[in-house]
Amino acid sequence: MYGWHLKLLRVNLTTKKITTEEIDPKIAHDYLGGRGLAIHYLYKEVDPMVDPLAPENKLIFATGPLTATPAPTGNRYMVVTKSPLTGALAHSNSGGEFPTWMKRTGFDLFIFEGKSPEPVYLFVNEDQIELRNAAHLWGKEVPETTDILKGETSLEARVACIGPAGENLALMASIMNDKHRAAARSGVGAVMGSKNLKAVVAMGNKNPKLHNSAKMVSLSVQTSKNVGVDVKKGSNMRIYGTSYVPQVTNTLGILPTRNFQQGTFEHVSNIDGDALKNQYLIRHTPCYRCPLSCGRLTEVPDGKYKGKGEGPEYETISSLGTGCGVSDLAALVKANYLCNEYGMDTIGAGMTIAAAMELYEKGYINDDIVGQSLKFGDHDAVIAMLKKMAYNEGFGKDLAQGSYRLCEKYGHPEIAVTTRKQEFPGYDPRGSQGMGLLYATSNKGASHMEGDVAYEEVFGVPVKENPLTTEGKPELVKHFEDSFALMDSSGVCVFVGIRYMFNKDRMILPQILSEMLQLSTGADYTPEEALKAAERVYNLERMFILKAGSTVDTLPPRMLNEPLPDGPAKGKVVELDKMLPEFYALRGWDENGWPTKEKLKELGLPN
Amino acid sequence: MIVQVKMLANYREVLPPGTKHGTVELDVPEGTTVYDVISRFSIPLNDESVIVLNGLMTDMNAPLQAGDTVTAFSAIAGG
Ligand code: SF4
Repeated sequence: MYGWHLKLLRVNLTTKKITTEEIDPKIAHDYLGGRGLAIHYLYKEVDPMVDPLAPENKLIFATGPLTATPAPTGNRYMVVTKSPLTGALAHSNSGGEFPTWMKRTGFDLFIFEGKSPEPVYLFVNEDQIELRNAAHLWGKEVPETTDILKGETSLEARVACIGPAGENLALMASIMNDKHRAAARSGVGAVMGSKNLKAVVAMGNKNPKLHNSAKMVSLSVQTSKNVGVDVKKGSNMRIYGTSYVPQVTNTLGILPTRNFQQGTFEHVSNIDGDALKNQYLIRHTPCYRCPLSCGRLTEVPDGKYKGKGEGPEYETISSLGTGCGVSDLAALVKANYLCNEYGMDTIGAGMTIAAAMELYEKGYINDDIVGQSLKFGDHDAVIAMLKKMAYNEGFGKDLAQGSYRLCEKYGHPEIAVTTRKQEFPGYDPRGSQGMGLLYATSNKGASHMEGDVAYEEVFGVPVKENPLTTEGKPELVKHFEDSFALMDSSGVCVFVGIRYMFNKDRMILPQILSEMLQLSTGADYTPEEALKAAERVYNLERMFILKAGSTVDTLPPRMLNEPLPDGPAKGKVVELDKMLPEFYALRGWDENGWPTKEKLKELGLPN
Repeated sequence: MIVQVKMLANYREVLPPGTKHGTVELDVPEGTTVYDVISRFSIPLNDESVIVLNGLMTDMNAPLQAGDTVTAFSAIAGG
C-alpha cells in the first residue's frame, strides 16, 4: 500500500502487551488518516462517557498519508483522546520533526490504552518496540527529559514527552515534541500523565512508499516554489512568524486584552513582531520540510528573564501578553519558555491567569487565596502563577483546573471566557462574527485550529470577508471546518495548506491537496471526495462529543451580552442566534444540533 | 485636512526611512479617497493587500474625513 503503512501499534500500558494491527484500507480511504483515522478508532473503542483520566480512555498519536512524504509541511501528527478539560474531544496538532520520525517507524498510529503502574516511556525503532522504565525521568522538565532520552537511545531519535504539568494532571498540560513544538490544547498532556506515560521516542527509516513518486516530487517542488516566491517578496510569516499578528488584530479591535475586557492594547508595540525581531530573535526555525519556516529561535541574553527557546507565537502574545495586560517583552518571552519547559498550553495557561486576574481585581479572590497580589500587567505574578500551576502548589491547584472551573469555584463562572470549558484563542469574536460561530460549535471547544475563519475575516486569505457581519458566515465556518479536518487528517500544516493548496474561488476546493493525496496513496480522491471524507470525520467527532454529553453550542455571557467597549468593533456582541440555525441546516443537523439519520447515512456513519 | 496612513509589519518598508510607528500624516484636500492616499505607496493594490479605514472594511472610493486612519497589511495566513 502507498502513502499509509496501514499498520498501527497498540500499547496496553496496564498489561504491557504490545501488538501490531493492520488498518483496513477502506477505513483509511474513508477517514484519510491523522485526525480522521484517530476518531474512527476512538469512537469505536472508547465509551464517550468515560472519565478522561481513567485507564479506559485511550490516547492516540496519528500521522496522515502525507506525513513523511515530500509534500511541503507533510510534518504533522495529531493527538486525539477524550479531553479532561472539555469532557468532549481533544485533537491537538503538532509539527516539528517527531511526527515524521514517528511515521518512519513503519506505523501510522500509536494507540495507548490502560495505565502503567509505574512511569514508563515507549521506544520504537521499527521492529524494536519496548516499554522502558521512566522513573529517572519523572518530575523532570521537557528539555532535560528530551536530552536524557536522546542520550540513552539515539541522537537520531526524536522525542515527544510531558513535563511536570502533565504528570500533575494540570488540565492545560501539553505534549511537547522536539522540545519546543506542542500538541497543546485540551489537556492531552494530562491524559498522558494519567497513564504514567512520560515519553514516546521514535526513529526508523521506513518512509511510506508513494503511488507516484515522480509526480509527487514535482508537484511538491512546484508548491514549495510558490511559497518561495512569497518568502522572497518578504512574507510576514517568514520575517516575523505569527508575531506580526498583534498589530493586525489590534487594528481591527479584536486583540484579547485583560481577559477580553477590551479589544485593543495600548502597549501593543512593546510586545509585537518588530520588538521581538529587534531584541531577541536569533533565527528562523522550520518544521521538517517546510519552505515557510515560521518558527523563531529567540534568546533573552541577560537579566532576570534570561533564557533561550522558541517563540512567542501570536497565540502566546495574546494570552500571556495582552490577555494578562503584560507589556514587558522579556518577561513574556520567559513565560513562553516556562510553558514549554513545564509542558503547558500557553493559551490555556495564559487565559486562566487572565481570568484569575479579573477575579482578583473585582475582589472575588484576594491575597490570602492567591498568596500574593495578582493584578493585570504584573508580569512577575504571571511567571509565579505558571510555576504553581504546573507543580500543583497552593493557588496553582485551582489554576490547574482551567479558567472555567476556577471562576465557578469562586462563584463567578461568567468571568471565564470559554466554550466547552476551553479558553478562547486570540480573536475576540465580537469583532469577528464567524469566529464566534466557530468557537460555539467547535468539537474541541474554543479553538482557532478547528476552522480558522480569521484567515478570511482578519487576514484576507484566500479572500477578504467583513468580520463584523453574519451573512454567509455559517457556510464559511462549515467550509473551513471541513477544510481543516482535511488538512489535519492528511498531515500538512494549515499555514501552508490554506494558502498554497487551495484556490481562490468562493467554494475553495482543495485541488492540489487532493492531487497530493492521490499521488501519495493511489486512491483517486477528487476534491469533492476529499472534502466529503473531511465532513465524515467532522460528523463522527460531533457524534462523539454529543454522546459525551457536550450538547450545547453557546458562548460565554461576555460575548453575547457585553458589547466591546473600544476599537473599531465597539458596541458589538456576537450575534450567534442569527448564525446557528442556518449552520445546523447547512450541516444537515436537526434544530438541536444532532446529525440527522439521513446525514449519517449519506456519510456512511453509524447511527 | 490631516489623515494618517499606517503600514503594518513588512509594509513598513515602503515608508520613508525613520518613520515612527509605521505611521505617516498627510495633509490632503476634502474629497480625497482611500485610493488617493494609499496609491501613493508602492504596495500591491489587489487581493494581496488588506486595506482598512479606521479598522473597518472599506470601499477604495470612500471619501476620507479629517482624522481618519487608513491601514494596510499583506494578506497572509497567520495566527
Ligand atoms: S508554516 Fe510554521 S508551523 Fe507550519 S510547518 Fe512551517 S514552520 Fe511549521
